[in-house]
Amino acid sequence: MEKNYHVCTGCGLLCDDIEVESEKNIVNKVYTACRVGVAHMKEARRAEADFLVDNKPVDEDTATREAASILKNARNPLIFGLGTSTNETQKIAIELAKKINATLDDTSSFCLGPLVEALIQDKLKTCTLDDIRNKADVIIYWGTDPSDSHPRQLSKHTYFPRGSEKQRGWEEERTAIAIDVRKSHTAKICGNYFFQIPPKGDAEFIDALIAGLSGKLPKTSYNYPPKKLLELANILKGAKFGVIFVGRGLIYSLENLEPLFKLMKILNEKSNFHLIPMVGNCNTMGFNKNLFAETGYVNSIKFENGTVKHGPEYSVVESLKAKTVDAALVIGSDPLLILPGSIAKNMLEIPVISVDHCETLTSKHSKVYINTAISGVEAGGSAIRMDGVKVSFEPVIETNHPSEEVILKKIMEAL
Amino acid sequence: MDFGSFLSAPEIQVKVITYRDIFQDKAMFEDRFGEEYRDLSAVIKLDPEDLKQLNVKKGETVILKNSFGKVVVKAEESGYETPHRGIAYMPKSPWSNILVSDETGGTGVPKFKDISVTVTSAKGEKVTELMR
Repeated sequence: MEKNYHVCTGCGLLCDDIEVESEKNIVNKVYTACRVGVAHMKEARRAEADFLVDNKPVDEDTATREAASILKNARNPLIFGLGTSTNETQKIAIELAKKINATLDDTSSFCLGPLVEALIQDKLKTCTLDDIRNKADVIIYWGTDPSDSHPRQLSKHTYFPRGSEKQRGWEEERTAIAIDVRKSHTAKICGNYFFQIPPKGDAEFIDALIAGLSGKLPKTSYNYPPKKLLELANILKGAKFGVIFVGRGLIYSLENLEPLFKLMKILNEKSNFHLIPMVGNCNTMGFNKNLFAETGYVNSIKFENGTVKHGPEYSVVESLKAKTVDAALVIGSDPLLILPGSIAKNMLEIPVISVDHCETLTSKHSKVYINTAISGVEAGGSAIRMDGVKVSFEPVIETNHPSEEVILKKIMEAL
Repeated sequence: MDFGSFLSAPEIQVKVITYRDIFQDKAMFEDRFGEEYRDLSAVIKLDPEDLKQLNVKKGETVILKNSFGKVVVKAEESGYETPHRGIAYMPKSPWSNILVSDETGGTGVPKFKDISVTVTSAKGEKVTELMR
């Protein structure tokens, strides 16, 4: 019997081997997916209302017209989110931003954006998760805990699979290493190859590791045992196909990416290393790539009469903090939940349009709420996996809710 | 109120590091306004010695406070073998976000994993409810 596999859009892994049992457009069972994936595909609680304006039920036309009116009347509207939207939706959102001279940003501006930008610009060597499954012998998780954030990564792609050139698997042919400030679930799997460093100790650890790789005595101000650092350096030197997965733990700890560039340079002089950012949402990578293709920047931009301005002042955090935006269209995100309260509170002072399948803190405080189909479950399209691979998907079930793509088009038409 | 007992309430300073938790993420997908999400989010994981100093038993509530906000969350032991006095852990959530500084140095990147707070016993006060 031919199996019909689906794609899970629950995280940046975009697992493409999901089987589903559904009846009357309700997903009853989800096989293969992780805990989060099952929740995403089966348990996601949909908001009761379809369309709201000022918390009162309205029809689709009224909601999209009101949304268009808010955006039209704004001097500097913000478009934010899109991390779980399809590529097709993201491209329309970019067009919309252009049309209304909007500030446009996604979560990458306060997550892994700089790293993704460096990868898109070919400043760092990368590879695909399939390369890792088939070839990788040394896998480093730095400031990241995929057992919690990307639950199937170790089993499907990195450590446990028996890839084409790694048939003897983790028992004999792979070494997984965790470098972190706490013993995460992933660090537990790495066993003796867990290197615990103090908070903000990453840059020094990189310096010491570079010293170790260069045959010098590795020293840190926090007295990390040189023997252990040299042991790590030797494992890295001996790698035939190494990869570093970089998480926010590392990025937040560094002043800039220079130490990481230096480390990757020396690792590639001594052996063969690749880098992949642990992008969280299912299509943050797509947003960064699509915006880069259009503007030359991955996030934090403002369109102004055909020109593009870019800089941290156009990030969601700075523009809300400085109150430079006077309306917001939020697509598939919950800034009131994910941003610091001290900054998110400014969002309560401006009219917000929330486009999401579920009720969120942001939607509860929005002037307009539009209940859309869940990308990947109820709406098809394509997304870019965390390693840059494009994945296309069909909807798993049908829905009466409009897709984000349809809604953005309607808002554009109503402008 | 007995002012003396108020003064003697033990208070400690900790650095909070936030992290992802799969059980909490799953609860958010299901219902971010639900009890499960709150129970798995409004938590601080402390070193057992810090709990002792606070005179707080695991499972009791504590007040976390700094110049950006104040929340009441449940205190738990971290379970980490390595002692980490002065460093505590919270799953990233609106509860931890209330305490994140708005000082970004213009970078657009808040210090989500570097939060300084004062911890005291909440003396039975309930966990802070999400803003609705």
